[in-house]
Amino acid sequence: MRDRGLPFVLMAPAFLIVLATTLYPLSYSLITSFREWRLTRQRRPGDFVGIDNYTGAFTNHEFLSSLWVTTVFVTISVVATVVLAMALALLLRRTGRLHTFVRIILILPFAMSPALIGVSFRFMFNPEFGVLAQGLGAIFPFLKGVAWLADPRFAMGILIVTDVWHWVPYMTFMCLGGLTAVPRETEEAARIDGASGFRILWEIILPQMRGVLVVVAILKTIFALKMFDQVVTLTGGGPGASTETLAYFVFKVGFHWFDMGQASAMAWILTAIMMVISIWYVRLLMSERKLVTA
Amino acid sequence: MKKQLFWWGERALLVFVAVVALFPILWMFLTAFKQPLDAYRVSIFFTPTFNNFKAVFDEPWYLGRMVMNSVIVASVTVMISVPCASLAAYAFSRFRMRGRKFLFFLVLSTQFIPAVVIVLPFFLMFRQLGLLDTRLALIIVNLAIVTPFVIWMIKGFIDAIPVEAEEAAMVDGASRLRVIRDIVLPMAAPGILTSSIFCFILTWNEFLFALIITRREAVTLPVGLVNFRTERGDLWELMSAAGVMITVPIFIMAIIIQKHFTRGMTAGAVK
Amino acid sequence: MAEVRLENVVKRYGGFTALPKLDLHVNEGEFLVLLGPSGCGKTTTMRLIAGLEEITEGDLLIGGERVNDKEPKDRDIAMVFQNYGLYPHMSVADNIGYPLKLRGLGKSERMAQVRKVAEKVELGELLDRRPSELSGGQRQRVALARAIVRRPQLFLMDEPLSNLDAKLRVTMRAELKHMHHEMGITTVYVTHDQMEAMTLASRIVVMNKGRIVQLDTPERIYSEPADLFVADFIGSPSMNLIHGQIAGGTFTAEGISLPVSAPDRAKVVLGIRPEDLQISDASTAPIKAPIFALELTGESTLVTLRAGATQLCARGAADFRAKMDDTCGLAPRPGGRIHLFDPESGLRLPS
Ligand SMILES: Nc1ncnc2c1ncn2[C@@H]1O[C@H](COP(=O)(O)OP(=O)(O)O)[C@@H](O)[C@H]1O
Ligand SMILES: [Mg+2]
Repeated sequence: MRDRGLPFVLMAPAFLIVLATTLYPLSYSLITSFREWRLTRQRRPGDFVGIDNYTGAFTNHEFLSSLWVTTVFVTISVVATVVLAMALALLLRRTGRLHTFVRIILILPFAMSPALIGVSFRFMFNPEFGVLAQGLGAIFPFLKGVAWLADPRFAMGILIVTDVWHWVPYMTFMCLGGLTAVPRETEEAARIDGASGFRILWEIILPQMRGVLVVVAILKTIFALKMFDQVVTLTGGGPGASTETLAYFVFKVGFHWFDMGQASAMAWILTAIMMVISIWYVRLLMSERKLVTA
Repeated sequence: MKKQLFWWGERALLVFVAVVALFPILWMFLTAFKQPLDAYRVSIFFTPTFNNFKAVFDEPWYLGRMVMNSVIVASVTVMISVPCASLAAYAFSRFRMRGRKFLFFLVLSTQFIPAVVIVLPFFLMFRQLGLLDTRLALIIVNLAIVTPFVIWMIKGFIDAIPVEAEEAAMVDGASRLRVIRDIVLPMAAPGILTSSIFCFILTWNEFLFALIITRREAVTLPVGLVNFRTERGDLWELMSAAGVMITVPIFIMAIIIQKHFTRGMTAGAVK
Repeated sequence: MAEVRLENVVKRYGGFTALPKLDLHVNEGEFLVLLGPSGCGKTTTMRLIAGLEEITEGDLLIGGERVNDKEPKDRDIAMVFQNYGLYPHMSVADNIGYPLKLRGLGKSERMAQVRKVAEKVELGELLDRRPSELSGGQRQRVALARAIVRRPQLFLMDEPLSNLDAKLRVTMRAELKHMHHEMGITTVYVTHDQMEAMTLASRIVVMNKGRIVQLDTPERIYSEPADLFVADFIGSPSMNLIHGQIAGGTFTAEGISLPVSAPDRAKVVLGIRPEDLQISDASTAPIKAPIFALELTGESTLVTLRAGATQLCARGAADFRAKMDDTCGLAPRPGGRIHLFDPESGLRLPS
C-alpha cells in the first residue's frame, strides 16, 4: 500500500512505550552491571569495576547452584509440557460435548495467577492437613509421611508440577491450532493405505506439527527460564537453596542483599542465555520453510 | 468391542484431565468457605461460612484496597497499551515499509528479556523519583511487559482479515484513517477484545514487579497473598478467600475469550 | 467519464519487474478488456490505475490529469474486486451505500439511491442480509451495485465473474454489457477468459509477461493475431500451428502440402483455425493423417489428426463419424484464413 509516512506515525506511540520501558532500563542495567553499587553502603552508583561482577557471579557457589537448579527445572518442565500438551491436543481434537467442556475449563489453570498457584499447592502439600499430601499417602503407602516441600527432590518436583499445570493448557491451545492446519486428507489417505494409529501419529501428524512444536518448546523454555512467582510463594527457594532458580537468585541478590552491580551482572547472564536460545529458535524456525514468524 | 473400549477410554481420560485441571481450584473455593478448624483438616463436609470474606476486607488485611489497586493498574495498562498496540499492529500487518521486519523483530525480542533485568533499573529510578509504592510505577512497568505481546497478538488477528475490503473502501473514497475506523476496527474488534482481556489477565496476575515496587499503598492482589503468611503460620482459609477474589473476575473474562483464544494464539505464532 | 492514459509505466516489486514498460490509452466511454494468462500483470495494471499500488516510473493520466500521487479516494473510480471485497460487518444496504456515505449523503437520500440500484441488480429483497449470508452470484451483484451506485469516472473490474458458475457467468456477462451500454462509463475489465473478452470488449489488450502484445478490436484480434502468442491464446480450440517451409507457392510439412500465396521461406509457421478447416476426400486433400481423437461437442465434432509431430484440429459436422486411426483428409474451407508467422520472432508475416 501507499502512504509512506503513515506506518511510522501509527507505530510511534507503541514504540515510545517499548523504548522507554525496555530499552532504557536495559541499557541502564547493562551499565550498572559493570559498577560497584551496594545500596546498603552507597546511595549513588559507585566506580566502574570492569567485569568483576561477572567473574564474581561465576565464582559464587549459590549462583552456580541456581544455574544448575534452573537447568534441571527448565529441562524437565519443558519436556513434560510439550509432551502433555501434544497428547492433550490429540485427545481434544475431536468435537463432542465432553471435549468442548474440557477445552473450556482448560483455560482456568492458565488464567490463574502463578503466585496463587504456588500458594494453593503449598496448602495442598502441607504434610499435616494438605489434601494432596494426605490423599497420595492414602493411595500409595510409601508416600505416607513424606515431608513434601521440606524434601529437596519433592520440592523441585512440586515446583515443576505447578508450572506444568499452569502452562500445559496454553500450549495445548497452540498445538490444537497447529492441528487444525494438518489436513484431514493426509491422515485419511494414510489410513486407507493401511497405516496404524501409531504410525499415523508418528509419520503423518507429528512431522507436520514440527513447526508448532518448536514454537511451543521455545516459548516454554523462555517462560521456564523466567520462573519466579511460584518459587516465592511455594518453596521460598528452599529447602536450602534447592529450588532457587536464576530469576529468584537475582532477585535475592538485588533486593535482600541490595548488591545492584552484582544483581545486574547476573541478570545479564540470564538475558544472554535467553538470547542464545532465542537465536537458536529463530534459526530453527527459519529452517522450517513453511513457517513464517513475522 | 475394541471401539467401545476406545470410546470409554477416551471419556475416562477426558474426565481425568478435567479433574486434574479443576481440583486445585475447587479445593481453594471450598477452603474459602470453611471455618478455620475445617480448613486445617482434610474435610469435604462442613458448614459453610462467609466469615473469611468478611475478614479479608477488614482490619488488618484491607483486601478492598488491593482489589482497587489491581483493578486500576490492570485497566489503565490495558487502556494505554491496547490502542497503541493496535495501531502498531495494523502498520506491521499492512504496510511493507523498509525496516519492517527488523522493527518487528525488535518488538518480539523484548519478550525474551527476563523481567528481573529491567526491574532493577526501574526500582532505582522510581526510588529516585519517589514513585516507589505507587500505582503509576506499576502501570509503567506493566506496559513494558504487555505492549510487545499485545502488538504480536493483535497483528495475528489483523493478518487474518482480508485486505480487499480495505482496498475497496479506499477506492470507494475513504481516507486511510476512515478505513481504519469504518472497516478495520469493526472487523478486528473480537481480536482486539480478546487481546485486551489477555493483557488484563497478564497485568492482574503480575507478581514480580508488584512484589518489588510496592510495599503498602499500591500492593496488588497477588502480592497481598503473601501477607497471609504470619507468625501464627499460614492462614489458609483467608488466603483461599483472597484467592477466590483474585480468580473469579479473571475466570469470567477467560471464559469469554476462550473461543477466540486458540485462534489468536496460533495466528500470531504460525502462519 | 474519462479517458485513461498510461505512459511508459514501469512497475517493480523490489527486484522483480512486473511491468517492464506499459503504454496504454483507454478511450472515453469504451469497454477495454485486459486479457492474458495468469501472472501476466493484469491485476497489477488495474491496481496501478486504482492507486492501490505505487507507480515505479512513468505517468498515469485520468481525464487528462496526472494522478500518480493522488490517493485512491481522490481518483473518482469504482472497482469490483475478484473476491468482491465486500464489507463483511455491514449489511447489503450499508455495503452499497458506503461510497455515498463517504460523500456525505444523508441517510434517507442514501437509502433511496441504494434501493434504486438494488432493484436494478435484483437485490431488493436482500438488503438486510450480511454478505456471508449470500450466494456467490448475489455477492457479485452487491459488489457491482456498490460500484454503480455513484457515477464514477471510471470502472475497474478484476475478474469479477471468475468465481461464478458457468451458467451464471453467461447471464452476468450480458448484464454487464447492458449496463455499460446504459451508463456509458469508461470501463477497464480484467479477465483470463477469452470468451468473456470477446463478448464484452470494445477493444482487447492481450498481455503476456507484463507487456502488451496486441491491442485491437475483438474481431481483428481473432482474425489477425499479431503473433504466435495471441494466435495460440485466442480461440477455442486454439489455432493449429504447423512448422514447415514454403517453396514455390506451396507450404509443406509432414503429411501436409498446402498452396499458399507467399514468397519462399525456409522456416515458417502456418496457422489455421479449426473452424477454417473442413473434412474432405482423403485421396485429394492437402492434409492427410490418421485420426487421433474425435470429440463430440454438440453442435460439431472436433477431429484431431496426428501429422508427424503436430496435431491438427478441425471442426467437422456434428454427424461426422469415423474410426480412430483411419486416415482422414482436411482442406481449408473456402474463404478460410491462413496465417503465417516467423518462427524466430513469433511475429505475423504480411500476406
Ligand atoms: N505485491 C507483490 N509483490 C511481488 N510480486 C508481485 C506482487 N503482486 C504481483 N506480483 C507479481 O507480479 C506479476 C503479475 O501479477 P498480477 O498482476 O497479479 O497477474 P495477473 O495477470 O494474474 O493478475 C506476477 O508474477 C506476480 O507474482
Ligand atoms: Mg489477477
